[in-house]
Amino acid sequence: MAVASPGQPALQEVQPTAIKRAWTGYRLTEGLTPYLLIAPLLILIAVFIYWPLIYSAYLSFYDWNFVRPDKTYVGWDNFTRLPDDPRFTRALRGTLIYTVTLVPLQVFLPLGLALLLWPIRKSRAQTRYRIMLFSPTIIAYSVAAVMWLWIFNPLQGILNKVLAEFGAERINWLSDRSTAIWAIIIVATWKTLGFHMLLYLAALESVPKDYIEAASLDGATHWQIMRSIRFPLITPTFFFVLVTTVISVNDDVFGAINVLTDGGPFDSTTNVIYYLYQQGFQFFQIGAASAVAVLMFAATSLLTWVQFRFVERHVHYG
Amino acid sequence: MAELTRRRFVGQATAVAGAVALSGSVAAKAAAAAGRSTRKAAAQEKTEISIYHIWGTPPGGTPAETPAPMTQVIDAFNAQSDTVTLTSSTPGTYYETLQKTQADIAAGNPPDLVSVPWAFLNYAVEGLGVKDLATVAGDQFADLQASMSDTAWPLVTKDDTVYGFPWGLSTPILYYNADLFEAAGVDPEEAFATWESFAAACPALQDALAGNPVLGLSYNKDWPAQTIIQSNGGRVLNDDGTFGFTSDEAKEAMQTIADLDKAGFYDRGTRDELRPSFVAGSTAVLQSSVASLNGLTNDVAFTLGTSTWPRFGDKPVIASTGGSFLGVFSDDAAKYPAVVEFLTFCASEEGYSLWNQTGYVNISNHELERLPGQEPAYAQFEAGLIRETNWPSARGVEAGSTWDVYCERIWANDISVEEGVNQALQEITAIIGA
Repeated sequence: MAVASPGQPALQEVQPTAIKRAWTGYRLTEGLTPYLLIAPLLILIAVFIYWPLIYSAYLSFYDWNFVRPDKTYVGWDNFTRLPDDPRFTRALRGTLIYTVTLVPLQVFLPLGLALLLWPIRKSRAQTRYRIMLFSPTIIAYSVAAVMWLWIFNPLQGILNKVLAEFGAERINWLSDRSTAIWAIIIVATWKTLGFHMLLYLAALESVPKDYIEAASLDGATHWQIMRSIRFPLITPTFFFVLVTTVISVNDDVFGAINVLTDGGPFDSTTNVIYYLYQQGFQFFQIGAASAVAVLMFAATSLLTWVQFRFVERHVHYG
Repeated sequence: MAELTRRRFVGQATAVAGAVALSGSVAAKAAAAAGRSTRKAAAQEKTEISIYHIWGTPPGGTPAETPAPMTQVIDAFNAQSDTVTLTSSTPGTYYETLQKTQADIAAGNPPDLVSVPWAFLNYAVEGLGVKDLATVAGDQFADLQASMSDTAWPLVTKDDTVYGFPWGLSTPILYYNADLFEAAGVDPEEAFATWESFAAACPALQDALAGNPVLGLSYNKDWPAQTIIQSNGGRVLNDDGTFGFTSDEAKEAMQTIADLDKAGFYDRGTRDELRPSFVAGSTAVLQSSVASLNGLTNDVAFTLGTSTWPRFGDKPVIASTGGSFLGVFSDDAAKYPAVVEFLTFCASEEGYSLWNQTGYVNISNHELERLPGQEPAYAQFEAGLIRETNWPSARGVEAGSTWDVYCERIWANDISVEEGVNQALQEITAIIGA
């Protein structure tokens, strides 16, 4: 029976509406809160990643330098002139060489080192090796460059001095087109080796020990354990290293190019990223640089898709 | 203790985040307001202006105990000015300085003054909107003009408009290891007389260097190439804007260095290698800017000699300029009197004497003592310098860089002179015509 006071609605008339409102409010808060919490991050990503991406695509159709008040619409010119630009052709060649050589070096060499260090994981020596191999990752390129410039110096460099002991001729490491690109590859590998090695070591650490023990009890050899247990279980890390290396290898090498050779001699160490930098920040052709950026984005996306499409099927996620 | 439910956690987290954001915003506003009021008070006393330049360390040298000459100029100006405070920033090389300038202009916060290479005058005018100095200086423009040498003003003039204050005028000269020349029994004066006599002296110098190359040409190769070509009667870019680097005189001049390379006398090292090699005594001769005089003098452990360039037969040496002018980029006309006050100080005997320690050629009208070793630069200056090549069009910087690559290739015998200049012509025409 409904109890009502004068001027007050009956209790059973109030309750359903109030509960409904409270429930709706709760649902709304529950629904919105996560979005509110991630909103700052989403805004930052939108402002600093997606907007530049869109704006860069827009600028690729203009001739502009960021400063001139007049932006000239040039249609596809910034794209169509690229094949006729010998500098771009040389940059493409460099990009190809860096990708073909550095991807295996940065994916497999750290894996090999991690496998070598894994058996001595409980000794102090491994810590020393890890520090030794990882420290190049945290050294700034500008600092590392000074050291490498002295190592590669043709007249006083330690590398040529050592080679001379074996009767080798003087090599102009950074100023000879046949060696300069290899010097850059050496420095870039040295710089990234340690980080990838640490990722592999962490992955090896996470392989469940009981799998290994069971296999050992069944008489599996060291190589069989590696091939059939350890490697399949670290394939997610392997895949991650592969994908990120393919995406970033030409970006990573930029620092070495910039501080050691400036793309020379004769553009022999340049790549598409350095070409983009030159167009945008040395020649002040933002439209041309944006066109290259758009093409790089498309090419990288395609390569990443290919890897996910054809390589990921071999990855064991446990 | 209250139970921490998901809802409570989310609610509390949101409240805390909101409070932090709100307090941060309030604090930021308060700080900004406080900053504004402080700045406002300071601004009533002094106008703040900024300068971007490349002279953070002594030119061509390592940081010294005493501040770099440009720092001394700025410090002295700030100490004596009651109305202006000049803040300085050294973003790096000329390219990096212009990059920062470009970024700041794009962000609507241009620096007031920037050191701009002479070779970038066209780009500074057409691409970056450097201000007309006569407009900036107003009534004081005539005084500024009177303070600097007449020969300096055409270097900052384009289409009859003066776009900057001439400041650091350099020219490429040759530095040599005098001790090594003596040990090799080579008379420097005789060796540097002509390219022929230089080539003849190279074997003895190379023996003294235990087989190392003798000559290094530093910086961008298009810079020394300009002096070498001009000294043989050619031009990189003719006055009428046509390309001169394909002329017979230019090709002959380029061949001279290629021949030295073929004989093993030319050091192909990168620009970061050439200077250390010379300083360490591993090469005998280094071409560099006269502005490197102070730095090199401090760095070498041998007796440093300087020389003008060798001649081609009887032809005179016609060197190019180097260095930079001070361009005004400020959009705020209220700051112009402050900028002019600084430029006037630069032009004063006090300011220019401090600057003159660098090694740059004195282009002021003050009689200042010349530094030992500057003689070749003054000889070249007095014989008449030609402005560093200003490649035309908005893509002129790219054209210049392309020519630089071909100079490097030709001299290292990576390509023949004939092929090199023709390919360069083709590429540069495509760039500038694009």
